[in-house]
Amino acid sequence: MENIYEPKFVKITEIKQQSPTVKSFRLEPTGFFNFDKNDDGSVFYPGQFLLVGNVGWGESAFGIMSAPHEDKSIEIMVRAAGRVTNYLHSLKEGDKITIRGPYGNGFPIDFYRGRDVVMVTGGCGIPPIAALIEYIINHRSEYGKVYLLYGAKSPEEVLIKDKLEEWRQHDINVIVTIDKAVPGWTGHVGFVTDLIKEIHIDKKNVGVAMCGPGPMMNAIEKIIRPLGIADRNIFVNMERKMQCGVGKCQHCTCGDKYVCMDGPVFNFDEIDKAWDQ
Amino acid sequence: MLVINENKIADFLKALEKEYKVYDNRQHPPYGGLTAKKYFFPPVEETFVSEKKGSLKTTKFAEKFVVFGLSIPQLEALTYLDEIMTKPAEDFFYWQRRGNSIVVGLIKEEPDALPGGDIVFVDLGDGNFKILKNTEKGEELIKKYKSYFAEVADAPSKVTDPGMSEWSKTMRDILLDAELLANAVEWSKNHKIWEEMATTCLGCGVCTYVCPICHCFSVEDKIDLTGKCSRCRKWDACTLPDFAKIAGGHDFRPTIKERYYNWFYHKFVRGYKEYGKPQCVGCGHCKKYCPASIDILEILKTILGDYKKSQIQI
Repeated sequence: MENIYEPKFVKITEIKQQSPTVKSFRLEPTGFFNFDKNDDGSVFYPGQFLLVGNVGWGESAFGIMSAPHEDKSIEIMVRAAGRVTNYLHSLKEGDKITIRGPYGNGFPIDFYRGRDVVMVTGGCGIPPIAALIEYIINHRSEYGKVYLLYGAKSPEEVLIKDKLEEWRQHDINVIVTIDKAVPGWTGHVGFVTDLIKEIHIDKKNVGVAMCGPGPMMNAIEKIIRPLGIADRNIFVNMERKMQCGVGKCQHCTCGDKYVCMDGPVFNFDEIDKAWDQ
Repeated sequence: MLVINENKIADFLKALEKEYKVYDNRQHPPYGGLTAKKYFFPPVEETFVSEKKGSLKTTKFAEKFVVFGLSIPQLEALTYLDEIMTKPAEDFFYWQRRGNSIVVGLIKEEPDALPGGDIVFVDLGDGNFKILKNTEKGEELIKKYKSYFAEVADAPSKVTDPGMSEWSKTMRDILLDAELLANAVEWSKNHKIWEEMATTCLGCGVCTYVCPICHCFSVEDKIDLTGKCSRCRKWDACTLPDFAKIAGGHDFRPTIKERYYNWFYHKFVRGYKEYGKPQCVGCGHCKKYCPASIDILEILKTILGDYKKSQIQI
C-alpha cells in the first residue's frame, strides 16, 4: 500500500533573500524520484501547494511559485513566522528537506483561457499567482489582457522584483502599490483597492484570481464587484491550517469543503455562503 | 447453525492468545471510556523516524491482534471508520493495524444486516452464541479453531432485552432520517442554542476522544537529545482552541460556539454529504463522559423541532 503520508527528500539548490523576512527556495528532487508530470507536461498546476518541512520539525503548506513547465526544480517562498518557517530560514543551499504533494485543485486555467484575467494579491500571497502568470506567459496567445494588482507594505516588501520586470516584457500589466509614500518610490501609493481606475477589461469575458490575507477580501467589494464581475468568475486561493493535506485530519475544513482537497482555490460564490472567515 | 457455548468463550480467547494479542472489550478498556478505535488509530503513534540527516524510516506495526466483544454501535462505528480511512485514499497507518487485526462482535440481537467486524457472536439467551461470519479472514479463524464451536439445530433466540438504552434507541431512530438531520443542523447555524452551548461547553474535547468515529488528528514533530527526529500523529479535537489557527495568529474558529457547532456540522452535515450517513452511531459515550453533562440528543431534538416548525409556512 502506498503511504500517503510519506514525504520525499529534495535538495535546496538556491536561496534568495526576497525581503527582510522572506526567502525563496529552489528545490530539486534527490535520489530516485522526479517530479510527476501532468498530461500537459507540467509538474503542478498553478495554485497547487506543497507540504514542505522535515521530520523533527514539521510540515507547512506553501504555494508553488515557479513556472509549472519547469520540470527540473520548483520554487517556494517562505516568510519566517513559526517553527517550520524559521527552520527553513536557518538552512543553507545544499541542505535536504522533505516535500509532499503537489496537492489541491489549482486555479481554473481552462476557465481563464480566452478571457481577460485580473489577479489581485498582496504581500506573501504572490507565489500561486506567480505560477499562474508563468503559465499564462507560456501560453500567452490563448489569454486576453492580464492585470496583476500587487500590494505591499513598503518597497522592501515588494517580492520577486526581477520577475515583475520580466513579466512586463510579456504584456502583463503589473501594477504595484505600497501602503505609505516613501522617498524614492514613484509607483502607486495606497491599498490595491484604489487601483480600480487602472483596469480596462472586457467585463463580460473576464476571470479573477486572488490570493492573500483576509483584508484582500475587501478588494472584492471595492474593485471586482464594482467592475461588474460575477462572484462565480472570481477565484480565491484560500489559506487554512493543514496537517495531513489529504482530507483526513479535518483541520482545514470550511463548511462542507476541504481546503486541501476541494481547494485551495474556490470561486467566491462558494466562499461567501457558508464560510468561517 | 454454528454456535459457541458461553463456557467455551474464555477458552477460545485463551487459545487465540498463542497466535494473537487479544483485547477483550468486555472488560474495562485500558483507557477509561475510549472505544475500539484506539486499537487501530491510537491516541499517539509514531509515524516516521529520522535517525541521521537525510534518512527516513516509516514506523512499521506488525503485531497480529484480535479485538473481542464489540457491540452493534461499536461495530457500525468501526465500519464507518474503515470507510473514512479508505476514501479518498487509504490511510497507511490505520490500515497497517486494521489489516493485521480480527474484530469479533458480541451482540444480543440478530441484525438484518451485519453491522461490521470479521465475526459476530449473537447471544441466543440459552447459553449459546450463534456465529456469523462476515469476512474471509473471520471464516478462516473459525475454521482453524473449529474445536470450540458446535453445529446445532436452528433455534429462535430467547433474548428479550437487546441491551440498548432508551437514549440510544431514540438517538438511533433520529439518525435514520439522515437527510432531515443534515438539513436541520445546517439550518440551525444561527439558532440560539449554540449561544447556550457556548456557555455550557468547556471546550475540553472529551466528547471527540470517546466518540468511536471522531478522527481529527494533528501531526507533531520532535527531536530528542540524541538527535533522533520523529513525527507523531495524535488525536486532536475540533472543539479545542487553536484547532483552526494558522501561522500569523489568525483563528478561523476563535470561539467555543463556532467550534462546537463545527463538531455538530461535521457529524451530521459534512459527514452526511461525504458518506451519505451521519457520523454518529448513538452509542451515548459523548453524553456519558461530558463533564458539563451536555446531551446531544436534547440538542438535536430542539433543533429538529424548531426546524420542522420553520418549514411549515402558509
